[in-house]
Amino acid sequence: MTFARRDYRAVVVGAGIIGLYTAYHLARRGAGPVLVVDRGFLSSGGSGRNGGGVRQQWETRGTIRLAREAVAAYRRFGRDFGTNVWFRQGGYLFLAEGPAELERLARVHEVVRSEGLPSQLLTAEQVAERVPGIAPGSVVGGSFLASDGTVYPFPAVWGLYEAVRALGVEVVLGVSALGVRAEQGRVQGVETSAGPAGAPTVVNAAGGWSAEFSRACGLEVPNVATRHEILATEPMKPFLDPMVVRASDGLYFSQTMRGELVGGLTVPHEPGTRRGVPSSPRFVTAMARALVGLLPRLRGLGVLRAWAGFYDDSPDGLPVIGEDPRLGGFVHANGFGGHGFMLAPSASERVARAVLAEPVDLDPKEFSPARFLGSGAAPSRERLQLG
Amino acid sequence: MGRSTSRQFRFGRAQLEARDGESLLAALARRGWPSLVRSVRYHRPRGPMCGVGDCTGCLVRVNGVPNQRACRRPVREGDQVLTENSWPSPRHDLFGIADLLLPHGLDTVHGLRRPAFLTGTYQRAVRRLAGYGHAPDPPASATAAEPHRREAEVLVVGAGRSGRASAEALVRAGLRPLLLERRADAVPVDGAETLAGTTASMLAPPAGGTDRFSLLGFDLDGAGVVVRARSVVVATGGYDAGLLFEGSDRPGVVTGDLALSGVGLPLGPSVIVGSGERARTVVERLGKDAAAVVAFGDIGPELVRTAAELEVPLYPRSRVVRAVGRGRVRALEVARRDGAGRFRLACSAVVLAHRRLPNDQLLFQAGAARSWRDTPGAYFPEVDRRGRTGVARLFAVGSAARPAGSAAPSADELADAVRGQETTLAPSPPELGGRPGELLAYYRELLRERRRGKWVLCPCEDVLLEEVERAVERGFRGLEVVKRYTGVGTGLCQGRYCLPEAIVALAILEGRPPTEVGFITQRPPLVPTPLSALAAVAGEFATELPP
Ligand SMILES: Cc1cc2nc3c(=O)[nH]c(=O)nc-3n(C[C@H](O)[C@H](O)[C@H](O)COP(=O)(O)OP(=O)(O)OC[C@H]3O[C@@H](n4cnc5c(N)ncnc54)[C@H](O)[C@@H]3O)c2cc1C
Ligand code: FES
Repeated sequence: MTFARRDYRAVVVGAGIIGLYTAYHLARRGAGPVLVVDRGFLSSGGSGRNGGGVRQQWETRGTIRLAREAVAAYRRFGRDFGTNVWFRQGGYLFLAEGPAELERLARVHEVVRSEGLPSQLLTAEQVAERVPGIAPGSVVGGSFLASDGTVYPFPAVWGLYEAVRALGVEVVLGVSALGVRAEQGRVQGVETSAGPAGAPTVVNAAGGWSAEFSRACGLEVPNVATRHEILATEPMKPFLDPMVVRASDGLYFSQTMRGELVGGLTVPHEPGTRRGVPSSPRFVTAMARALVGLLPRLRGLGVLRAWAGFYDDSPDGLPVIGEDPRLGGFVHANGFGGHGFMLAPSASERVARAVLAEPVDLDPKEFSPARFLGSGAAPSRERLQLG
Repeated sequence: MGRSTSRQFRFGRAQLEARDGESLLAALARRGWPSLVRSVRYHRPRGPMCGVGDCTGCLVRVNGVPNQRACRRPVREGDQVLTENSWPSPRHDLFGIADLLLPHGLDTVHGLRRPAFLTGTYQRAVRRLAGYGHAPDPPASATAAEPHRREAEVLVVGAGRSGRASAEALVRAGLRPLLLERRADAVPVDGAETLAGTTASMLAPPAGGTDRFSLLGFDLDGAGVVVRARSVVVATGGYDAGLLFEGSDRPGVVTGDLALSGVGLPLGPSVIVGSGERARTVVERLGKDAAAVVAFGDIGPELVRTAAELEVPLYPRSRVVRAVGRGRVRALEVARRDGAGRFRLACSAVVLAHRRLPNDQLLFQAGAARSWRDTPGAYFPEVDRRGRTGVARLFAVGSAARPAGSAAPSADELADAVRGQETTLAPSPPELGGRPGELLAYYRELLRERRRGKWVLCPCEDVLLEEVERAVERGFRGLEVVKRYTGVGTGLCQGRYCLPEAIVALAILEGRPPTEVGFITQRPPLVPTPLSALAAVAGEFATELPP
């Protein structure tokens, strides 16, 4: 028998940053017994393969608010959970290559400022001061928010893993959730590779595999998993503070606490969730060209390793949070695209509320799974899908 | 080009001279033992360890580019060479205080959290400890080296003994192979095209409608190299593994590869660790500098004979406990495994020649399988008796494919297999020989030692054995997780010198067989590959590596 109990208050599928944070918020609210299952090892999903970027510059206000709360949570993380996530607020610097991109950034800048965050529009010279060695003439300007930053993702996962277990949450690794048991339109429990676990709610926090799990539970969803690659260079002494993101093609990179430049290209998406997530010469060479084009000084620097992971993309670029109207007790916590890490602390708190049937302060047009079930296009859209 | 030409270069403020074709390390070694770099976190003294371009013991800044391996780089006229990560010099580095102040290392996972107002200071300090060199200088010229492109029926990677033999056999069989070799001084093979000074970095199997493998590499000028080939023979050879003990990262602890490399490092009296043919070759090469031989188990008869001729004392069934010395090894502390006491052997170098492992990463990138072998205690690729892997038209020969001493295909058999169109045979199961599990038993005894100083499991990133123990104690198990938790295996050597040891150490700490500890998914490229080389061939790949 793999599970300690027969019945739980909630079963969370996926022990990534979203699943673990959700379990944490549930435990903190005294929800009762919670089980988290994951078929892989800790950090085997997107939460162990991302760039650690945390930004509050968005087009949609709902996302800005979630991100802002998350920044506060990451600042406190070491004190709250006992592990260092090295949240470093070096800022996020969006680069505009031409007037069209600059105009787009200016529009985002207006929204961000109206939410009370002091973002700045920068001239090409000001950009060059923050990105030492940027090729002359490569940008016309940019936008910058100093309180954005980067975290080191792994310790966030470990810290939560230890914290939730200390709060009595059961985390079982190496176990797949296969589907749900439902009666009269309500979840009764979860079927797993290690047998059944009873629960009135199940949280789908399966990241890039969330659509697969929803479908296994009989729920058609529009989420699509796309493969994204990322690489790390040899480490260097610190020379770059901000996370740099180019608006045209989503080239992004930052210098980690370990001194490596870590980054990728947002644009070439590839659907599919093939396991093993290999890296490709195509990405590594394209990324190298983009990097040395922008920062010619990096030419002789070595690429150390490259890897890939999945984004779980929703059609409108906004996460899917809340109970599925078609199946009582089935709560979505997915569709985070390339931004699940930065939204996890605050978004998961809303997931926990949805599990406990408490009111959720999110605009249903932006976050509810119901938005894809009605007719017509989704009324809101987050287009700043970069970095 | 005249043999006697010399090259002028600058090392810090000194104006030095190198012989034609000589590596930077060889040129510097003529002035005595070279201290070129300090370790990343604790600024421990480090020295050249491998001599073949894979460790972090000889990193220097050359012409404004950090992390250049002095042992790999031929001196060019006018080179400007600087040391990094130390002040005022690697020999006398004030930051070395970090090593003394932090006897148990720095716990960056759980430490440095309080008081909260110091968070920014901690961050700056820890960030400053990362990395060996400063970011590259802006390039002097805007022109990047032109990439080289080749099409070949058969590509042979590696011009060592078995690579050359394979290339020669392929020529005899009427083919014109392309031979790739990372050493700059490779001797060409008649009838084959030889690309010397070319390092392979990624190998993708045929995909996207072609029947060609794609190999990506780079040459000594940082120019990209792309080879498309129908068949690939991987003959990348083996390397001498590291070994974990107290002080195993000290300058003077080197591998057999370095001792045999011809770099000409002044090793002086050396203790050789090993019992077989590799150790024997090292003893023979070192001659009167061979001070003693230490082995875990019994010592092979050939080595006994060679040692007797050279009057080198032998210490079989003994365990290395500690390398004594800070800036340079002064002695090796050794314990008899039967408990009959311990003793010190005075020496200025320790040469590790106990376990030869395959340079097999290229094979795994292209989809070959691996399996664990209890002897010599490591993973090896699955290769059948004719050099075939589980991937069609991908072959492996020599030490890249199998443990020393096991049956190998003859070069002509291989050539037949390469020409043959038949589908690949199922790989034969690994043959076991020697004493299975000996390494595990050795490490089990070693890990029981009381530790005085730091045991550096991963020298590139200064990861201590203690950190791995802490991870296991906290319930983080398995190599994939422990790698992320501690950083072991993520340094510039791409895990060559720490992962094999980490697997064995973890198996013992977790109380399960090495095969259950897992292995790390290959994350290409194989070696740090210059961005310029990659950038120059962007857009030429449609293929992916297999899972
Ligand atoms: C290359 C890359 C770069 C990124 N950069 C950033 C960034 O800079 N900033 C940012 O905020 N985000 C970034 N992201 C996105 C971020 O990583 C994800 O949004 C986030 O990690 C999602 O967390 P999660 O917990 O939902 O999913 P995951 O971490 O993927 O966890 C899902 C878990 O569910 C498990 N699972 C799946 N199916 C089942 C099943 N049936 N049964 C049991 N277990 C199952 C999986 O094993 C997995 O461990 C990036 C992603 C990638 C791939
Ligand atoms: S001695 Fe040069 S890399 Fe190891």
